[in-house]
Amino acid sequence: MLKFLKQVGDYAKESFQAAKYIGQGLSVTFDHMRRRPVTVQYPYEKVIPSERYRGRIHFEFDKCIACEVCVRVCPINLPVVDWEFNKPQKKKQLKHYSIDFGVCIFCGNCVEYCPTNCLSMTEEYELSAYDRHELNYDNVALGRLPEKVTLDPMVTPLREFAYLPKGVLDPHDLPKGAQRAGKRPEEILEEIEREKAAAAPSEDEG
Amino acid sequence: MESGIDLQGSAIQLLVDLGVPTPIAKVLWLPLPMALMLVVATVGVLIAVWLERKIAAAVQQRYGPEYAGPLGVLQPIADGLKLLFKEDIIPNLADPWLFTIGPAIVVIPVFLSYLIVPFGQNLVVTDLGIGAFLWISLSSITPIGLLMSGYASNNKYALIGGLRAAAQSISYEIPLALSVLAVIMMSNSLSTIDIVNQQANHGILGWNIWRQPVGFIIFWISALAETERLPFDLPEAEEELVAGYQTEYTGMKFALFYLGSYVNLVLSALLFSVFYLGGWSFPVPVDTLANWLGVSPALPWVQVLTASIGITMVLVKTYLLVFIAILLRWTTPRVRIDQLLNLGWKFLLPVALANLLITAALKLAFPVAFGG
Amino acid sequence: MTLAEGTQLVSFGVLTLTTIVAALGVVLLENIVYSAFLLGGVFISIAGMYLLLNADFVAAAQILVYVGAVNVLILFAIMLVNKREPLAPLKNGWIRRGLTALVCFGLFALLGVVSISTPWSVLPEAPNVGDTALRLGQHFFSDFLLPFELASVLLLIAMIGAIVLARREFVTSSAVDGDDNLIFRLPERPREPIAPEPVESK
Repeated sequence: MLKFLKQVGDYAKESFQAAKYIGQGLSVTFDHMRRRPVTVQYPYEKVIPSERYRGRIHFEFDKCIACEVCVRVCPINLPVVDWEFNKPQKKKQLKHYSIDFGVCIFCGNCVEYCPTNCLSMTEEYELSAYDRHELNYDNVALGRLPEKVTLDPMVTPLREFAYLPKGVLDPHDLPKGAQRAGKRPEEILEEIEREKAAAAPSEDEG
Repeated sequence: MESGIDLQGSAIQLLVDLGVPTPIAKVLWLPLPMALMLVVATVGVLIAVWLERKIAAAVQQRYGPEYAGPLGVLQPIADGLKLLFKEDIIPNLADPWLFTIGPAIVVIPVFLSYLIVPFGQNLVVTDLGIGAFLWISLSSITPIGLLMSGYASNNKYALIGGLRAAAQSISYEIPLALSVLAVIMMSNSLSTIDIVNQQANHGILGWNIWRQPVGFIIFWISALAETERLPFDLPEAEEELVAGYQTEYTGMKFALFYLGSYVNLVLSALLFSVFYLGGWSFPVPVDTLANWLGVSPALPWVQVLTASIGITMVLVKTYLLVFIAILLRWTTPRVRIDQLLNLGWKFLLPVALANLLITAALKLAFPVAFGG
Repeated sequence: MTLAEGTQLVSFGVLTLTTIVAALGVVLLENIVYSAFLLGGVFISIAGMYLLLNADFVAAAQILVYVGAVNVLILFAIMLVNKREPLAPLKNGWIRRGLTALVCFGLFALLGVVSISTPWSVLPEAPNVGDTALRLGQHFFSDFLLPFELASVLLLIAMIGAIVLARREFVTSSAVDGDDNLIFRLPERPREPIAPEPVESK
């Protein structure tokens, strides 16, 4: 009899525990209801990509020396470098250059290793096309500069979370000239120079 | 107890005064409340769908529908129109007759159950003597329609979904009926009007939710299972069964299933508020309020006010429950089929039986508090 | 004839028609699933008949028990078995059919004779008894107490039988004999025994 009562008691305890957990879950979802939506309403609003965003690759034809380092460091040997040896000049002359963005994984190794900095990452990420062969960009397409989100009159640019002023969570309706939390790189640079300038006279004295 | 506004009586009286014979006046009146109730049910579904989408979005920190009307309130209508214009496809090897009849059998009983939903003392289509029992028996027809559409689709997912739906609804009907039976035992009547009147005496303290603390939980769990809402939406578990018995349906037939499930949800919430939350009664009795303010409850404008407060109260309680159901949907994970049947047969059924027996004992012991 | 009487007559006609047609369909259709669904139709039409006789509680109970429980269980059984085999035409099948028809016709004739010869006390219209649930309860606990209790005992027996059937545990005879060295092996490949080794000292 006692054993049976204990079973019933355990069962009741478990039921109450289950009810408690469901209640906790409900409080979590209820709490989420008053939070701000994180939605970016894409065609009308766009997030401004950060400085180190690894978007579509930009290529400057005139700087390229056709060394093919980009091909070597690429995990899948993707860039196609078409060059011809120019006998009188004793130089490689670049004829075509192309990267297929349907295959590229945007790791940025080619940009990292390019000896002449003719490759660079841009903030462009809207690379959709109706045919996958259209994603194979040649040197002309690679040389185009991306459109800035902030300059598009149709789009409301939104800042990313890390670029919002201190204490602000909503990127909408920021006051003009609102700065992000912390110092900007150029400010840090200025500060260092000022410190150097302050330190220099003391060195002269010494 | 004031009888409140008698729309039927006054409408028929008006027609008779205009020179229409009494029987014809009654016949003319007859379709009006039914049509009104159909409209109420449909609009209720539109609101429930909109609430579902908005609350789901809020819980997941999204916006939800925004562009169709202010705050997206017209989105359900847009959805309905889209479904209306979609091509009606019957799969090649499906059984065309059963495939077509199935959704109708699912929807019709749910709409019929609105016969007994009261919004006020006289604001009900018919005050049937078997009100609550009618609802239970009508809701037992639905599994036939589910089995029918599941079988007729000629699709294994649809068949499994239909079988699951039928198993689920017949096993949860029993605790549901038993918990309703405890309420009926206290009010000595199956009529929904009597059930509300029995709770109307002491304002919020007189509501059945205090006298049936276990019963209302059983009722709510079983009602969620009957309406196939999460955590009990196994019949249409999309990860396992595509969409269960709805898999092969498109267009208006799918819309019927969709409509049926939301009508059922709103209906369950309405009946929950009738059975446990005092239906149209205000947390403080309206008569007492009128006495405090020094106005007679018999005055016409007070009666109109009372009736509108009653309707508002029913709707507020109902949509509060719909809100809880939606919040539960985004909180709880789906149970497995064996857990579902275990919960129904091994937990809810014994607890509901014990609840019934305890209610009966309390009714004999304290006839004042438990409706002797 | 008033409007109400006309409505009753029309609904009686429609209900009779659906009952008979659906019942014929249950018997004559080849597809067993159709038969099961039509059986539901028969039950619902009969519930409608009860409604016409002012027996609303019985009508609702008819729907709840017969449509909601019995018919759904029949459908369940059919769909879970789902055995589709073509029926082989029997030799001399017509003899069986003829015999069946004869028996059925005889039964029908017998019932018809009984129903015609019995002096029914026909009421001109269905009496309105007020609260049907109340009246049913009174009858169940006064003059129909014995049948009511017998039915409940029958149901209890059926329920216990179902539980006994469902709870039957299939245990191999050797395990029952107390052989605790029993090892289950999979047929595909030899395995290390999972059961604990028997104690050496024994």
